[in-house]
Amino acid sequence: MMPGMCVEIGGLRLKNPVMTASGTFGYGEEYSPFVDLNLLGAVVVKGLSLHPRPGNPPPRIIETAGGMLNSIGLENIGVEAFVVEKLPFLRRFETAVIANIFGETEEEYRAVAERLTGVGGVHALEVNISCPNVKKGGLAFGAEPAAAAAVTRIVKEATDLPVIVKLTPNVTDITTVAARVEEAGADALSLINTLAGMSVDIERRTPHLACVTGGLSGPAVKPVALRMVWQVTKAVKIPVIGVGGITEARDALEFLITGARAVQVGTANFFNPRATVEIAAGIEEYLVQYGIADVNEIIGTLREEAEK
Amino acid sequence: MTMNADITLLTATVTANSEIAPGFFRMTLAAAPEFASPAPGQFVMVRDADARDPLLARPLSIHGFSRKRAEVVVTLLYRIVGRGTSKLARMRMGDALQLLGPLGRPFAIDTERKTHVLVAGGIGVAPLAFLARHLRQRMQPGEGTIVSYCGASRADALVGLEHLEEASSRTAICTDDGSRGTRGPVTDRLAADLDGYDPQDTALYACGPFPMVERLGEILYTRSFSCQVALEERMACGVGACLGCTVAVTEDGGGRRYVRVCREGPVFDLPTVLRRRKDERRGGETGGAIR
Repeated sequence: MMPGMCVEIGGLRLKNPVMTASGTFGYGEEYSPFVDLNLLGAVVVKGLSLHPRPGNPPPRIIETAGGMLNSIGLENIGVEAFVVEKLPFLRRFETAVIANIFGETEEEYRAVAERLTGVGGVHALEVNISCPNVKKGGLAFGAEPAAAAAVTRIVKEATDLPVIVKLTPNVTDITTVAARVEEAGADALSLINTLAGMSVDIERRTPHLACVTGGLSGPAVKPVALRMVWQVTKAVKIPVIGVGGITEARDALEFLITGARAVQVGTANFFNPRATVEIAAGIEEYLVQYGIADVNEIIGTLREEAEK
Repeated sequence: MTMNADITLLTATVTANSEIAPGFFRMTLAAAPEFASPAPGQFVMVRDADARDPLLARPLSIHGFSRKRAEVVVTLLYRIVGRGTSKLARMRMGDALQLLGPLGRPFAIDTERKTHVLVAGGIGVAPLAFLARHLRQRMQPGEGTIVSYCGASRADALVGLEHLEEASSRTAICTDDGSRGTRGPVTDRLAADLDGYDPQDTALYACGPFPMVERLGEILYTRSFSCQVALEERMACGVGACLGCTVAVTEDGGGRRYVRVCREGPVFDLPTVLRRRKDERRGGETGGAIR
């Protein structure tokens, strides 16, 4: 008898706890030669804004020790083009499609959320609040609990789809933001987004990235992401999705045991295009090995009392 | 852009990896026959299958390819420019290499044109050697002419020439220091010969450092020569998902948009990639898809 792998997030049933991280899997089509999308718990697509965005000037990426920095700049085709050109491909699969959305103003978040609701083929929204709020001098929505809560409320009012809010780690206390966002009605949280970082070319004496700073992702960030998942699961009751440096099944299991209901795999896709399906299979193997009947039985089972 | 279902991810075996000139390596790989036959200008993403450092695969243009019944042989020509290529240089016969490809938009070949001019700067010779052999095979004897222009900083940095020389009716060699061939940039040599080519009947293909590409643009700008260029850019995914490898192209309306070197490229029509804003910096400077 194969172990149960289904998890439920905000009313959405996923066939397994492995999703793709937004921005690392395009709109699904790019990885379809290597990955049967039907084997994933969910596909989270590249973040969508109301209007198309060209993104930042290059260079946009640089490898670091155990990871990479990116300053892609949220380049995307816009919500309209997504619905018309990309969603039909994703509808062919029996896997949940989660649309990551963002805006420069609260009004834009509302407009994008509305456009994706009832369009068929989108099963949940993931709200990126790590982008700069142009009305507040570019401070990220997610950096301020009140702003994060306001965006959450606006999106919840605009849609009947489950709303997952993706938190930024570039804050003093992520649990405060998490609690306010839960209060504002979020159905789930995903964390972490990238960590702000920088890299310098010593031959040219210039930053490696055209925009100087970028977001760090990959194995290097896993300990930070795991710590934040641990802290946030104590601060909220809604499900938490763990993201950050997950490369193999062992990493995913660390997050599930710590309290994450599901995980997202991002940077690992770049150096192993089959990472997502291998991780899902590895989680199942662990359950079989330990005679555990269902993945939900290990979630949040971290034993914190040291043996005396 | 159609979805390319002929991209495979597999583990290849290193069958040879030798330093053919200071800092320049030629590696041959044996891979399973599922690997689709590449077209010149395409590239692969490679990394040591048994290591996690460096993290990302590196994009290298395909220098050679042959297909046998039980396996295919892929040849790569690369230069050490950073951590990734240093790691590749240390690989030995029998080592496992993760191979993803073939990737990208290849050179478009118009066999109606009689003269094909190849312009290679430095390691840019890597994809052009593959193109030269491919062109020669497709042309009937006496049907067309291939002329190659090769430039490098010094004589001992001229690599991969044998394939170009074999396929070309004439190969012009230039070195910056004059240690072999004509002294000076390869583009000067081409400029001197340009009046001898008929724009309607000549196709140009280039690969090299971006200053060479820009100089080509200047030389060809006032004439109606058609020229394709293979670019390189730092990459993470190689398949068009991460949007890390983009270069700017200027729209006719004056607006700016970005295209992916890994999907919309690496081969572009020269005018498309030259209409960039002057204030933008670029990531790559060596020829070919190497970092």
